[in-house]
Amino acid sequence: MPSASLVCEGFRGQAATTATGLGLPGLPTALVPGHVDVQSADELRHNVAAVTVDEVIRNLTETISSVGDAVVEPAPADIVFEGNLDEVNRFFYENDWSDGLPIVPPTPERVAEFLRWSELPGETELGVLLPDQRRATVWNVAVNGVMAGCRPEYMPILVALVEAMADPRYGVEHSGNTPGAETLIILNGPIIKELGFNYEQGALRDGIQANTTIGRFWRLYLRNIAGFLHHRTDKGTFGNTWRVVLAENEDALRRIGWTTIAEDQGVPGGNAVTISRYTGGGVIVSVFGNGPDQMLPYLADSIVRKVGWELMFTVGMGVGSQRPLLLLSPILAETLAKPGLDKAALKQRLFELCRIPASQFERYIGDWTNLVPGRPTLSGLVKAGLIPPVFAESEDPERLVPIVCRAEDLMIAVSGDPLRTNAYAFAHNGILGFPTTKPIRLPTEWPRLLRKARGR
Amino acid sequence: MSTERDRATEGVLWPRGRKTVDVRPLAKRLGTLDGITIGELWDDLFRGDEIFPILEEELTRRFPGVRFVRYDTFGSTHGRDEQRVLAELPARLKELNVDAVISGMAC
Repeated sequence: MPSASLVCEGFRGQAATTATGLGLPGLPTALVPGHVDVQSADELRHNVAAVTVDEVIRNLTETISSVGDAVVEPAPADIVFEGNLDEVNRFFYENDWSDGLPIVPPTPERVAEFLRWSELPGETELGVLLPDQRRATVWNVAVNGVMAGCRPEYMPILVALVEAMADPRYGVEHSGNTPGAETLIILNGPIIKELGFNYEQGALRDGIQANTTIGRFWRLYLRNIAGFLHHRTDKGTFGNTWRVVLAENEDALRRIGWTTIAEDQGVPGGNAVTISRYTGGGVIVSVFGNGPDQMLPYLADSIVRKVGWELMFTVGMGVGSQRPLLLLSPILAETLAKPGLDKAALKQRLFELCRIPASQFERYIGDWTNLVPGRPTLSGLVKAGLIPPVFAESEDPERLVPIVCRAEDLMIAVSGDPLRTNAYAFAHNGILGFPTTKPIRLPTEWPRLLRKARGR
Repeated sequence: MSTERDRATEGVLWPRGRKTVDVRPLAKRLGTLDGITIGELWDDLFRGDEIFPILEEELTRRFPGVRFVRYDTFGSTHGRDEQRVLAELPARLKELNVDAVISGMAC
């Protein structure tokens, strides 16, 4: 069916690349000059009437000449280049296959070693990733794992990560959105200790091979299989560097009887990865107090301060999909748990404290961003049955309303320096990177393979 | 200082995956918009609620016989229900006798 896609000036390149990925190169777009958010109503009308309308008419009525033929691409086992370390790195960088850091050359021998750590055949399809519509396979997981500097024994984690990436609930196709949110990988299970992940001081810092290289793998895979590239499909206005894997401190969790993130996500008892995209975050330093009553107001205030426009994911696009994450150091978690507070009770206390005036909430989604169409009031949304009654317990514009729809929408993890009283709050990107958890499948021979690997 | 291993030549594999879609021809364009029904698709973002009425007004002025099916008929193409909305779209467009589509907003 003929179509015209309305595209602001800065997004034509992304539109063209995405259309090519979808198998529709040359799909016409109609220019909307500049960016609509900074134009007065008169300017917008002028631009649409003077420019966009003509382009819409051309898009729908004028014959489009065919744009190129399909490119013949290599088969998985093809050797695409031969050279020394420098030459391979230059070749990969020039072809947009690396991130600018040196890669480990993915030779057939190195890839074969990775494949030994998965019982799935290399050609097994794990999903198809937008926008480039490429097959995610066990084989290309291994290739990118080698490149990232992973060790072969990380392979079961890499496969689980790609299964999560390909899950429609996660929404990988949104990974190039303008806020430039970045995925955080949270790891649970005995594999944390077996593979030497850092889950204590500096848990979010690069420098530990397992945490660091798997974080790098994530973005290499987004680049090479999903197809997210600077100036093309990636429109992150600023973006972020990839995050290292966050491993939870399960010793601390067990001591206080709290569940892990994977268990909270409905994947109990074992190794699992959880992925979720966060728009940003910040450290909460020196939480003072000897229990929840003293500590929670500061923690709640810090969570609230990290969340602004993201409230559109609480009541607008993807209602109820915002999942802010509070990361507690073990000493903070243990102090909060001392009077018998479990995770569910803690979330409920935070839900009651993480509140802002309704008028402020409405400014974030309305006047200041225009991100929820029609600039509705919270009361109006409640009356329409679109959000829970807690957002309209009175008509007072200064009434306090929550930042998420339900207490369980707040996520809590435990890691970092065991004996420092700091926490970290992450703001979440809603349906554009929804928390998704997958179990990690280990090969039957895992203990034997691991013993052998440790001797390498 | 480079080592002998750094200087050794190695053959390397392709890091990408096979594309699952072939290049497809674009739909035949219409000669005119007169008598045509245009479906509007909106992602509920970036002033589409202001832009579509302007387009309707301008296109109707130039092609008096053009008709529109408003964006709210289809649901948002970007939100919690986007996968369902997009999956249902071909049938909905057919059911509503839509001949062409204007989709926005990419901003």
